[in-house]
Amino acid sequence: MLLETCSYAVKEALKQKADEAEAYASLERESEVFIENNDLKQVKSHKIGSIGIRVFVKNSLGFASVNSLEKNKVLDAVNKAIKIAQVSPKNKHNRLPEKNSVAMLKGIYDSNAEGFEPADATKFAIEMLKTAKSYDPRVSVDSGTFNSSILTHALCNSNKIELEEMISVFSWNIMGMAIDGSDVSNFDFQFNGTHSVKDIDVIATVEDFAKTVMKSLNARKIESLKGSMLLGPNAGYELIQSVLTFAINSNNVQKKISRFAKKIGKKVASNKLTVVDDATFTDGLAAESFDREGVSHKKNIIIDKGVLKRYIYNTYTAGKDRTKSTGNASGSTSSPPSVGSTNIIFERGNRDLDHLISEIKKGVMINRFSGNVNPVNGDFSGVVKGGHLIKNGSVVCPVKEVMVAGNVFDSLKNISGLSRERKKIFDSFLPYIAVEGISFTGG
Amino acid sequence: MQKVFVDDLRKVLEHARSVSYAEIRYHSRLLNEIRISNGELERIRSVVNDGAGIRVLVDGCWGFSSTSETSNESLLDAMHAALSSAGLLSRGKQRKVSKLADAKLAVGTFKPVINGRLEDYSIEDKVKLVKDSEAYARRYSSKIKSASCVYRETIDHKIIVNSDGASAEIFDSKPEFSLTAVAAESGISVTASEGIGVTGGWKDLFASKSARDITKEAVQKAVKLLKAKQPKGERTNVILDPGMVGLISHEAIGHTVEADFVLSGSIVKDKIGQKVASDLITLVDSGPSQIQGFAAGTIFVDDEGVIAGRTAIIENGILSSFLHNRETAAILDVEPTGNARAFEYDDEPLIRMRNTYIEPKDYTLDEMIKETKHGYLIKGARNGQADANGEFMFGSQEAYLIDSGEIKQLCRGASISGQAFDVLMSVDAVGKDFKYDIGTGYCGKYQPMKVDGGGPHIRCTAIVGGLQ
Repeated sequence: MLLETCSYAVKEALKQKADEAEAYASLERESEVFIENNDLKQVKSHKIGSIGIRVFVKNSLGFASVNSLEKNKVLDAVNKAIKIAQVSPKNKHNRLPEKNSVAMLKGIYDSNAEGFEPADATKFAIEMLKTAKSYDPRVSVDSGTFNSSILTHALCNSNKIELEEMISVFSWNIMGMAIDGSDVSNFDFQFNGTHSVKDIDVIATVEDFAKTVMKSLNARKIESLKGSMLLGPNAGYELIQSVLTFAINSNNVQKKISRFAKKIGKKVASNKLTVVDDATFTDGLAAESFDREGVSHKKNIIIDKGVLKRYIYNTYTAGKDRTKSTGNASGSTSSPPSVGSTNIIFERGNRDLDHLISEIKKGVMINRFSGNVNPVNGDFSGVVKGGHLIKNGSVVCPVKEVMVAGNVFDSLKNISGLSRERKKIFDSFLPYIAVEGISFTGG
Repeated sequence: MQKVFVDDLRKVLEHARSVSYAEIRYHSRLLNEIRISNGELERIRSVVNDGAGIRVLVDGCWGFSSTSETSNESLLDAMHAALSSAGLLSRGKQRKVSKLADAKLAVGTFKPVINGRLEDYSIEDKVKLVKDSEAYARRYSSKIKSASCVYRETIDHKIIVNSDGASAEIFDSKPEFSLTAVAAESGISVTASEGIGVTGGWKDLFASKSARDITKEAVQKAVKLLKAKQPKGERTNVILDPGMVGLISHEAIGHTVEADFVLSGSIVKDKIGQKVASDLITLVDSGPSQIQGFAAGTIFVDDEGVIAGRTAIIENGILSSFLHNRETAAILDVEPTGNARAFEYDDEPLIRMRNTYIEPKDYTLDEMIKETKHGYLIKGARNGQADANGEFMFGSQEAYLIDSGEIKQLCRGASISGQAFDVLMSVDAVGKDFKYDIGTGYCGKYQPMKVDGGGPHIRCTAIVGGLQ
């Protein structure tokens, strides 16, 4: 049905003098339960069908979208896209991908999801609250959600690409602190998700959250120090993952705002670091068989033992660099495709977290980072949240009012170890990452 | 496109039986956007997002559902989904919503003043304006290495009906234009931007400055900043421009007085009636555009159908009100302030700001500068962040050193930080000028939202940082 609508849109666009046309449609059924201030807040459900139409008329781009799959509205959008293409600037790199062979992934859709009702989502949200409260009465949940979604997406273009697949995603998150009299711990945020109903495990996530906030009570101010920075998966996501995905994006490389420009084949990080972008990794929540313009996804090795291997491309940016798309066209039905990463997977280290800690003479473990990170030059400065002081191989105490500053690109080169333990944060998988030579300013 | 009428929605509403409250909000939005960077079209799109959001309160529990189809049948389906969602919470929810506060509910048609309907200007003209502006920016000086220009407009039509009697048809129109330029010379590069966003039409967008003037200002600023030095980091006197005043009012003060944050323990929770700022400060959040017209965050009716008025958050230094929806107003036993806003039809209303500003007083900028022995004039709000405790750090584009009552050299990239209420307590001069100046921005709180902010120039004490 979705594919038929796409095919209709493409045919209509070609009838109206589009040289090339693409339609990307999605149908999503979603329910979400919100938790706020230690209580259930709201249950929300919706079903949305939408389509985005991209056309090229004499190398000029037009794009229009509508949140409906009704024929008359789709036709309006086609007309509008053509009208826009007739007045927008030409660009010789405007072209659609050719038909390519796409291996459809298994394990990203669970048919049990069809019977998963808002009532089931509510049960899990109630379980989250119960788990937090029974762990310790001092644990306070500020907010959280349980979300279930079934997405069907389809793409059709004038180069005969015709693709459709279903994806189910269940995800949940929790945020809050521990309160003991006047002592309020730093916030913690925990997240997890899965494609299949049987793998939903909210208890483990909430227990991790409760354990973390309880451990951050009785935080102390510390003296300034220079030493190791042990980034937890959350902090690693905010600092390292965000800068890395910006720097490998071909659009940023071409705009000359990526520090990785002209660095392919060069060493950009410690040889302990290997990172891949892999939408075919079905455990990841960004897993899908084809990208936003119908190019097959594959495993892209980004950094291999510290050496930069490739940038990520869509068809447009690949055309400018005379290379092939890496399957990284991204975006929803409401925008023309941009370039984006999929599942970003940091390879596990060869030591347990405890072992990693035992090797640190002096340093700070950071659970969350709150501050500014400049993805262009890599400079970061901000406050350590949920931090712990490490001395002579052991965790001494939780810390407060500690500032940290440095540079992400320098940090990549100074990675001294990664843990075997790894956590899923949104679409990424991150271990604990130890970085040497970082300055911390105490309160 | 299927026409939706107030009466149709009222009929659907009648099906919400045994509820303490029900609301249907039809919202049709057209978004058009053009972005050109370095001569290349980076984005162009026209997006229609139409549908209805239905919210019900049953047995003290909220249920929300939305649908993109607006036929009678689809609306009824969504109503049933909302009812069953609310029912799901009734066993697990601890603190039930006992009532919604009485409010002045809107009945009738509401439209902002629009000079030059956006629909009457062709997409071709809009593309040309962005293309020409961006090209002009790069041509202006060989020092300009890159430029980017954006035009964006949203055109809204809403109908809000609820079981307490609201019956409002609302039209809105919010265009914005901005230009960012990067200048570089001998290894130094600086970014500067200028822009404007309004509630109104095409002529209102360019009433105070033409697109060419905005472009020129951004480019001239970038080139001028190449020669600027870093300021010295210190706690000192600063004169903040209207954009910085708007940013601090919104980001560092405004969020702490949103009643949902207040109820979860914001730092101002027990401070109504207490002195929290200098006597010179009256800080307001208003739906209608006060003092000056066309502010980008303008609304006349909020998304619960409540008439949106002017709310003085701080009056002559005294904390006088929080920002409410009908639920929080009932809990704190006050009148709703019309701050419940939803971004699109499938979003539920949350407490959000509108136009947040400090009211003008009696100083001229010249007088403020003349009286200042040492300090900085800080111009051009940039992004930053504020914590729940009011501590903030915001970037600025320009910092002019003031020495012995005179403007001296221009410094670059100063960040301003401090505790927002301490900073407001330190205010010793408030200008007689006034401007809204953060209208190209969006506020993020679970959902994006168009807001504005501004004020006169004010003089206060804050920490001026060095590098950013």
